[in-house]
Amino acid sequence: MVNSVIAGLTSGGVYALLGLCVVLTYRLAAVVNFAMAAVGAMGAFVMVSLTDAGLNVWLALPAGVLAGAVLSGLLGSVLVRWFGGHSQNTKAAVTVALYVAVMAVGVRFFGSTTTGAHRFPQPFDAPVFTMGSVVVPQSVLVSLAFAVVITAGVGLLLSRTRVGLQLQALSEQPSTAQVVGIPAPRLALGVWVAIGAITTLVVLLVAPRLGGDFSTLGKLINTALAVAMLGAFRSLPLTLVGGLVLGCLEGLSASVESVQSYQGVVPFLVILVALWWRSRHEVWDTAHSR
Amino acid sequence: MKRTSMTAALATTALVLVSSACSSGSSGESSDGPIKVGAINGVTGLFQTPEVPQAVKAVFDEVNAAGGVNGRKLELISIDDTMNPQRSTEAAIDLIRSKGVVALVGSSSAVDCGLNRATYQKNNVVSIPAVGVDAACFTSPNIAPVNPGPFTLLTAMLYYASETLGHDKVCMDYTVLPGSGDGVDKAVKEWSELTGKKLAHKEFAVGEGDPTKYLVADKAAGCQAVLYNGPVGPYMSQAKTQGMGGVDFIFGANSYTDANAKAIPAGMSVYAGTEWQPYTDETLPGNKRWADIVSKNKIQKTAFSQGAVMSADVFVQVLKGMKDPVNRSSVTKALKNMQPITYPMVGTPWVFGPGDVHNPVKGSRFVKAENGKWKVLPEGFVVPGQKS
Repeated sequence: MVNSVIAGLTSGGVYALLGLCVVLTYRLAAVVNFAMAAVGAMGAFVMVSLTDAGLNVWLALPAGVLAGAVLSGLLGSVLVRWFGGHSQNTKAAVTVALYVAVMAVGVRFFGSTTTGAHRFPQPFDAPVFTMGSVVVPQSVLVSLAFAVVITAGVGLLLSRTRVGLQLQALSEQPSTAQVVGIPAPRLALGVWVAIGAITTLVVLLVAPRLGGDFSTLGKLINTALAVAMLGAFRSLPLTLVGGLVLGCLEGLSASVESVQSYQGVVPFLVILVALWWRSRHEVWDTAHSR
Repeated sequence: MKRTSMTAALATTALVLVSSACSSGSSGESSDGPIKVGAINGVTGLFQTPEVPQAVKAVFDEVNAAGGVNGRKLELISIDDTMNPQRSTEAAIDLIRSKGVVALVGSSSAVDCGLNRATYQKNNVVSIPAVGVDAACFTSPNIAPVNPGPFTLLTAMLYYASETLGHDKVCMDYTVLPGSGDGVDKAVKEWSELTGKKLAHKEFAVGEGDPTKYLVADKAAGCQAVLYNGPVGPYMSQAKTQGMGGVDFIFGANSYTDANAKAIPAGMSVYAGTEWQPYTDETLPGNKRWADIVSKNKIQKTAFSQGAVMSADVFVQVLKGMKDPVNRSSVTKALKNMQPITYPMVGTPWVFGPGDVHNPVKGSRFVKAENGKWKVLPEGFVVPGQKS
């Protein structure tokens, strides 16, 4: 059982990265972006299609990242232009619709699950050390390092830079931010483009480990949302820890035969417990009255 | 008043003409014109087999070029269900009621059998899928696929692991789809009864995500052979990282693709069970016929296209042997009363025949991954419990 938990922990960095992308979009663009992983998967598959066609990986990588960034920018422009003044609920619902659309297109073009037609490069596959009887590969350390860099980097950006301040203003009060001269639409679009590029990189990093088909990668949003819940959609360090916790829980659930079949429920249970924990001090009938 | 009567008369005439046109073409009882044959295929969506309808059509074109069946041409009407249940049920009704097909030949849908078995039975139409995917394909009165199917194949894979490779600790890392649990349990039970062995470790809920946790559990259980049916690349890459070079991994037929052979890291021992003669060696018995027809028509060479050619071939053979005029009821009758056909591309003869259960083809051949390619192993078809 200990080995299974350790094995699960090795997935934690990956989950943390995905959760961080959700939290970033929420904090910087004030949208719970359900289409995030699907957009990242689209960028990743553009890259892998180019490498499959014989293009050098170092040329295909920027092309894939650019594709993810452009697609995210397009979705962002839809939200900024047509739904800028709407509530967060409406924006989230729009991203759900976009998720369905992007998934449909992605599965149509990159479909099939087990033919092995698309092979993602695996630059970080070499073992580093052994913990229990689990061999830990480089990719685990790279995921964790990437997650820490994002957590620290974005934390510094938000707290120490002018752009960070403007982004926070944009996230909290978009209309007020615009009134005081912050170029809200342009800034928001920039955030969407950056998130698209980062998500594509994250999906490219996790794809060799989690499965190389579009559907699996697009559906990673479920796990990402659960991790983001653990960080309350605000705290980057808590989101990082949340990813590791979710990984451990998954490993644990896989090791117990009686609950093995219900592993898919783990992210949902995490969301439920996180909601319950957060609302434990709220007074009945006063919170969430809408 | 006069205009009203005229309109009513015209409408009645039109209705009669339309209904008579529908009735002549929709019942499948027409005994002249082209012989309409249906198929429900996954061409787009999660389960993609675009080569299957192409290969069936290629066989039909060949028959038509040689004069057809008793002077009648064969016409394939294939509908892509995109693995969407609603589209699949609509496709079956459309093919039977509107298009008037005499049978379904070369279907390759992951959802067709389970959803449409009752429709086929109710309309007395038979289906010969090129690829039977779910359990209902093998347990329905009006469906008889030309492949052994995932459950018969599973028994053969277990048998190969324990009897041919001689392993005592055989394990399974399997994704069991909804509705398939009974079939998997039955296949494992059949293997246990034949060999007296039990699984050393099993994971029947291998889902999407990092496979490391399953592999670590396999290591802890001392598995000598592991059967697996999920995506190959990430699983084998992690198996290598976890130092499992000494374990024999055995994949199902769905993983037997050229791309997967390339995805297996060097130093790993990987086998795959096949449902027909391994398609990667065109010199094997029965494969020349298939290779010729798919090469000539520039169709992708896959195991699924083997099933397509076989389903079309056995259907045409039955059709050519019919004395009655070809229509839906006579075709159903002919298939239910037919003699077994020995088709060298599979392990046992294929027959539709009477009865409520149809799983005529047994046995599997095995291939091993070597240097990014599949090498055909020499044992011939492994039929559990039967000496080769």
